[in-house]
Amino acid sequence: MLRNLKFALNSAWQSFWRNLAVSLAAVVSITLILILAGVNLLVGHALSQVLDGFRVKVSSISINVADDTPLQSVYDMQQQLKSDPRVVSVKFVTKDEALAQFKADPNNIVFAQQIDGNPLDAKLEVRVAKLSDVAEIDTLARRWPGVDPTDPTNYQGDFVNRMLQLSAWLGIAGVGLMAVLVVVSIVIVMNTIRTAVYHRRKEIEVMKLVGATEWFVRGPFVLEGIMTGLIAASIALALLVVAYPPAVDRFRADIAFIPLSYDPAFVVSLARDLLVGGALLGALGSYIGVRRYVRI
Amino acid sequence: MLLTPDFDTRPVISFQHVFKTYPTGTEALRDVNLVVPEGDFVFLVGPSGAGKSTLVRLLIREEKPTKGKIFVDGMELSRMKRRQLPYYRRKVGLVFQDFKLLPNLTIYENVAFALRVLGEPDRLVRSRVADALETVSLSGKENTYPSNLSGGEQQRVAIARALVHAPRFIIADEPTGNLDPATAWEIMQLFLRINARGATVVMATHNREIVDLLRRRVVAIDAGQVARDDRSGRYHDDVEKPQVRAQ
Repeated sequence: MLRNLKFALNSAWQSFWRNLAVSLAAVVSITLILILAGVNLLVGHALSQVLDGFRVKVSSISINVADDTPLQSVYDMQQQLKSDPRVVSVKFVTKDEALAQFKADPNNIVFAQQIDGNPLDAKLEVRVAKLSDVAEIDTLARRWPGVDPTDPTNYQGDFVNRMLQLSAWLGIAGVGLMAVLVVVSIVIVMNTIRTAVYHRRKEIEVMKLVGATEWFVRGPFVLEGIMTGLIAASIALALLVVAYPPAVDRFRADIAFIPLSYDPAFVVSLARDLLVGGALLGALGSYIGVRRYVRI
Repeated sequence: MLLTPDFDTRPVISFQHVFKTYPTGTEALRDVNLVVPEGDFVFLVGPSGAGKSTLVRLLIREEKPTKGKIFVDGMELSRMKRRQLPYYRRKVGLVFQDFKLLPNLTIYENVAFALRVLGEPDRLVRSRVADALETVSLSGKENTYPSNLSGGEQQRVAIARALVHAPRFIIADEPTGNLDPATAWEIMQLFLRINARGATVVMATHNREIVDLLRRRVVAIDAGQVARDDRSGRYHDDVEKPQVRAQ
């Protein structure tokens, strides 16, 4: 077994260099595919970061408390919300704190000077775990007698629904694009490797005639495919890592309202995905590509 | 009718009413019956397209018969599963007209290839390859590539590869077809030596001189049928086919 593996590794390595032109063609095609996949992952990650930011914002809801509501009733409501599994946290903000917060915001300086007394409501700031549950918490809040009937909550149903829809569509689009990339790449890699195998069909014929098992013939090709995939993944990764920060800077400069950010931690998971993806792609492409010639 | 001489030794190859029709409709073999005992040396002769190569392809299970049975060493080839095939082929040494050497491997690597496939350890590979190359008088050419050898030398490498794993049968398809008479004769001497060591040899050939000189068993195939099976035969049956002799 170990001897066969050594032989397969040796053959794969030799064959990679002996058929350098075809090997390079395979490396280039896998590299291009992996760059596309990597860009897809990076864009997907950046968008999900942006969406996460929005999600945190809109998954918080402020319940405005009417001025005449007894404090005990507010505490009861706060307790009820805290014990709700859909709720992450509840914070009671008194009228004074609300005013202080309002005045602290530099956008409100002019307003704050004109305010006479304290027109702001006390509020319960509720963070909900899932964006889809915010609507139900809003309904619950509106039924509470202590709520300010003129301005019960800051919940913007339409915006949240649109956010949910957008995030669902982006998820589907990302998966769809990835699926298309995977299928296209397997077909390209398979054909590239089939060309490489075609050049070596005589070798395969001899292997079969001297009694090589299908896996003995296939092994070196699959290993060569994995090697090709890993080389391609390394090149694609290097290019993406170099291009990622300046691309983010450029994007931020051009489209300032989308808070895109550079995430160095994501590079690690990108590296893992690309290397595993490249190796799998090479292996699968070789396995399918060599199949026609290996069958005895 | 069974045109098979009676031999005392155990039959290792047996064709029983074998028919082969290709998908194109070409009838390559028709009701072929043939028994080859262990240690025999059989020449398959006949005009081009007579069915010799089909018979060889059936023997190495590159093709299956349309009808009939082929037994080799007790195994029925058409019932053999695909995964068993490599193990069957390891019992056989194959030699072809076009040598089928791998151009990017050295002579040593080409011969060693048949053992690598078996997963033999390096030490054994080294000693067996050295023996095989010595048998075919190619010691010292281990690091040469096939393109730097003459046709005869290349065929000797192919023979070394065919015998390096000590197979029980050698099947050769026109092994002297690309060689000059002197080299062909050298190659035949090699086959005779391998046969003398106990291996059964089945050889398809067009080489009249060699067949006539050696006077071994001759099975003549004509139009897909066994036309003649002589224990100590010649290339042409002089009595039946004087017109062929006249050519």
